[in-house]
Amino acid sequence: MTTPLLEIEDLCARAGDKEIIKDFNLTINEGEVHAIMGPNGAGKSTLSYVLCGKPGYEITSGSIKFKGRDLISMSIEERAREGLFLIMQYPVEIPGVPTTAFLKHAVNAIRKHNHESELDTMAFIKMVRETGKNLGIDAEMLKRPVNVGFSGGEKKRMETLQMAVLKPDMAILDEADSGLDIDALKVVAGGVNSLRDGKRSMLVITHYQRLLNYIIPDFVHVFANGHIVKSGDKNLALELEEKGYAEFIRDKA
Amino acid sequence: MGGLIQDIKLRGHDLPKLEALREKGRNSFLSQGLPTPKTEAWKYTRVRTLTGNDFVIEETKVSKCSCKQHQTCCCTDQSFSLPFDAYEIRFCNGKLQNDHFHLPEGVEALPLTEAFDDPDIFHLLNKSFDMDKFPFAALNTAYLEQGIFLRIGRDIVLDKPIAFLYHTSGGLKRFACLRNLIVLETGAQAEMIEYYHYSGAPKSEYFNNIVHEIYIGRNAKLRHYAVQNEAFKAVHIALTAVKVKENGHFESFCLQKGADLARRETHVVLQEPDAKTNVNAVYMMNGWATLDTTTDVEHLAPHTLSGQLIKGVVGGQAKGVFQGKIHIAPKAQQIEGNQLHRALLLSDDAEVDIKPELEIFADDVKCSHGAACGELDAEQLFYLQSRGIGAEEARQMLIEAFIDEAFQTIENPSVREWIKSI
Repeated sequence: MTTPLLEIEDLCARAGDKEIIKDFNLTINEGEVHAIMGPNGAGKSTLSYVLCGKPGYEITSGSIKFKGRDLISMSIEERAREGLFLIMQYPVEIPGVPTTAFLKHAVNAIRKHNHESELDTMAFIKMVRETGKNLGIDAEMLKRPVNVGFSGGEKKRMETLQMAVLKPDMAILDEADSGLDIDALKVVAGGVNSLRDGKRSMLVITHYQRLLNYIIPDFVHVFANGHIVKSGDKNLALELEEKGYAEFIRDKA
Repeated sequence: MGGLIQDIKLRGHDLPKLEALREKGRNSFLSQGLPTPKTEAWKYTRVRTLTGNDFVIEETKVSKCSCKQHQTCCCTDQSFSLPFDAYEIRFCNGKLQNDHFHLPEGVEALPLTEAFDDPDIFHLLNKSFDMDKFPFAALNTAYLEQGIFLRIGRDIVLDKPIAFLYHTSGGLKRFACLRNLIVLETGAQAEMIEYYHYSGAPKSEYFNNIVHEIYIGRNAKLRHYAVQNEAFKAVHIALTAVKVKENGHFESFCLQKGADLARRETHVVLQEPDAKTNVNAVYMMNGWATLDTTTDVEHLAPHTLSGQLIKGVVGGQAKGVFQGKIHIAPKAQQIEGNQLHRALLLSDDAEVDIKPELEIFADDVKCSHGAACGELDAEQLFYLQSRGIGAEEARQMLIEAFIDEAFQTIENPSVREWIKSI
């Protein structure tokens, strides 16, 4: 039995006084794509932030192991360098930081961590352009400051490009489809699918089933009241689309 | 305070012509005294370092630098050169070093002591400020001797910047008073750099008191860059007093990074219609330093324009001070005056004190001012780190991004890159 890529056991986490994640369990093996679906406000985004180490969330009990190592004790950047990547729901704008410089720093930080030689500017730009071309993403966006003035669709394209360039072992998509038109959605899904190689894993967090038409999950979990209340295959997503989440919320209430 | 004002008559050249003015400076300084927290213009900047600290002006009849025995000195170490071509005017430990200025035709430079033989030049002294309001400029007047007179003739456009390189070497508690008089005649255009740096022990204690008087003629333009990178126990107090005539333009940028106590004060008087000024600055420090950026722009004539952008980054237990005043006289209509100050606090003990002031006595004016301080944006920091960028590197990227807007006001790209690299 190989070590699972991600193993979350009895996780409890809170933001301030509010307990958001309660007794959460999930195991993701290499190459698997898991979807977590749930009603708004259930704490889906909190789960993604807790996994990436965002400040402001306190883990009160439980454990998270990534590649068999304790994830909770790692810094934000260590998690990223170890191969965790989050496509954010609302990527922040960073005026004054050119995207090219930012992404080059990121690429080289991760390469250094993996004992690979750092890329010079020429090699980096060539690599990014090629990656962008394969995904149908215009690298012109790189000339602008990070996310500044980008439309919702452009921001998600940029997130996808970053993911493809940084080649994580596990990508978390936090509501990657929110505010996207169908074209942008296809680009994002295309980017994710191009990274599916039987080894990389994905955790797709979404409210709607729509995204899962493009990124076909191996497993679907229903997240409510702080933990997974039901698991199944891709058909569970269709069922949820039809019946809604009321059943799960009512059950608990 | 005693140490600062002893034996004025014994210093340097015997200059009877200057005695009356020096005496006035001395009396003005003594009657004002060192500023205290009750002195309104100095309420945020304490000059405790100066009380009871005996800084001395070097006892020498020789005006040349006496530090040649040191390993590193501006006279021997070319690393204090600029990375671009400039007309260099060097001061070392408060003494002018140039025998020749090698300036192009139409540009005249003279040591102050020689320039004063010309009554027209002598007449310009202390005319750009009222020394009874500037205690350190009064002190500077009491010790008047070192410095140059520089005149850029009518319609002369300089091909490269004039750089004033002020070097201090470690050792003694040196006290230097420098005064430069700069005149741009009608239509002249020039760039000027002031660069303050040191060699030797970084803990050297010294006190530089500098006054620049700048007269900008009709249609003339001066781009002025000042870089204060003194040793971290040094005291640096500078006044740049500027008068701008019709359609003249004074554009300035100041970077402050060094010293334990520093105040750079820029006072611009827009005397005639269509005169313009931009006063931009960046201050960055850690440790225990106090860095003060004070500006005062007076709009005396209609159709005059001013803009200010000041950005600060303060860490450790350091303190930044920004005081910015825009004064608009009653007859000065159709004015535009803008001022924006932003500071970034990097630690809980860092402090920034801000005092923006608008004095508007005319009714047809457009004025804006904004002053704020904040911390690094946690969301931005998280975003960068979540891509694998280390926390410290991410902080640096955000700090540079914050400051960069102010650096971008430097129009000369070689100067901009040099200043960013300091």
